[in-house]
Amino acid sequence: MTPTTKPREGEIWAVGGGKGGTGKTFLTSSMAAHLARKGREVVLVDMDIGGANLHSFFGIGRPQKSLTSFFEMGASLSDLVTPTGLPNISLVGGDVHSISSDKITFSQKLKLFRQIMKLNARNVIIDLGAGSHTNTLDTFLIADKMIVVLAPEVIAIDNMYHFIKNALFRKVKKTLKDYGFREIVQHIWDRRQSYGITNLRELIDYLKGSFSYIGTVLDHELAGFRIYLALNMVRNRQDVLLGASIKSVMNKYLGVPVLYAGHVEYNDAVWKSVRERKPFILQYASTSCAREIEALIENVDKGREISIDGGP
Amino acid sequence: MRRPDLAACYAVLEIPADAPLRDVHAAFLRLKKLYSGESIATAPLGEEFPEERRRTVLAEIEEAYARILAGRKAEPVRPDPLFSDAWGGERGEPGPGGEGPYRGPLLRRLRERAGIELSEISRELKLRVELLRALEEERFEALPQDIYLKVHLKNYAAFLRLDPAQVAEDYLQRYREWKGRSGPSG
Repeated sequence: MTPTTKPREGEIWAVGGGKGGTGKTFLTSSMAAHLARKGREVVLVDMDIGGANLHSFFGIGRPQKSLTSFFEMGASLSDLVTPTGLPNISLVGGDVHSISSDKITFSQKLKLFRQIMKLNARNVIIDLGAGSHTNTLDTFLIADKMIVVLAPEVIAIDNMYHFIKNALFRKVKKTLKDYGFREIVQHIWDRRQSYGITNLRELIDYLKGSFSYIGTVLDHELAGFRIYLALNMVRNRQDVLLGASIKSVMNKYLGVPVLYAGHVEYNDAVWKSVRERKPFILQYASTSCAREIEALIENVDKGREISIDGGP
Repeated sequence: MRRPDLAACYAVLEIPADAPLRDVHAAFLRLKKLYSGESIATAPLGEEFPEERRRTVLAEIEEAYARILAGRKAEPVRPDPLFSDAWGGERGEPGPGGEGPYRGPLLRRLRERAGIELSEISRELKLRVELLRALEEERFEALPQDIYLKVHLKNYAAFLRLDPAQVAEDYLQRYREWKGRSGPSG
């Protein structure tokens, strides 16, 4: 036993979901504001490579130190943590004109993940930005809580399914790689038609059925794969129910458990607060929208979800 | 026959095993709608989630719902001598569908046997508890006109998984007898 087996006290949250403009950065900043207000130490990591703007939600300029220093100068991540001006919240900025996701090497990525896990904070929250790049997916997969932010429209749903399917596929491949099965997974997937496989769930079922040993491994490793769903910009009851539908489809189609953490109503004040560069839930604390956001964050924190069929 | 795995049935309906019957009902209707028709939640999956698979999912949902309801009726919250009698005590003709004629007190017994509170039905059907109580106690003067009453009765019956048409017919017969006695109104 090495001394490092002591369980980490902090918790890493990753906020992704595929499509841009659904409110990922907005909700990430809200999570920090809410948890910090409760006295939690929070470190934000802006991994929105190319579009990093998390700092602006706290009314500060682009941090001088950023992930660029980590990737190009080998700086240590803990040295890049910058205060935001709000108590208990600091930030690793993601200025990133100079790095493209494709240039990040595998060893850099692993080093980054190791250092994220060592950040000294009760909550580390990673804003992943849009897209389903492998680096984005891998970062998503290191989190203790994987959160997707969705808007109630078909393109966002389409992108989110793509994002989660790819994250799950990465997870399966990574898991089986350690057991020497990585090539087999890709091989079967590439020839899925001849195996009569139409989707990822069937691939997983096929693998489990063909190699009972793999089945045990996958069951164990995928047990922790669950998604927290945050539905943003909701306008009516139908939109609220959409979250339950997504949860159902993810479960019945992909076999992925989803916790419907909550929904946030569409509110023009959100845009105002972004322009004013102040955290919404502090600036507009009395709105029902702010209360929905707080309830959502509490649900993620406590591993809960909202109830759809039970009414008031 | 294998005892149905109720835990799996609740998982199919995506609700906790201690969910009140009203939630079971709501979850069933919600999921049935989702997988029967068009939804932006399923549309993006296209051919990856083919019609055939969708029908299988629907069948699982229907079966889970039926099993949960059957399970709840087979496990009454309190011992009920009527139950072992296969409903026979109510009308002397045992067997499924032999519960009638449906009158207020029988409806109440059937509801209690299923472990359902009036407040649950009230929330689901958006009807006042007082009205439902009047219905079960056959206080006809407190009930709405028969055209509305018929709708309420059918919904109430459907909630209890009884035959809505039969319940409405039996009950309204008593109601009309009372109305005939009390003379034309308005």
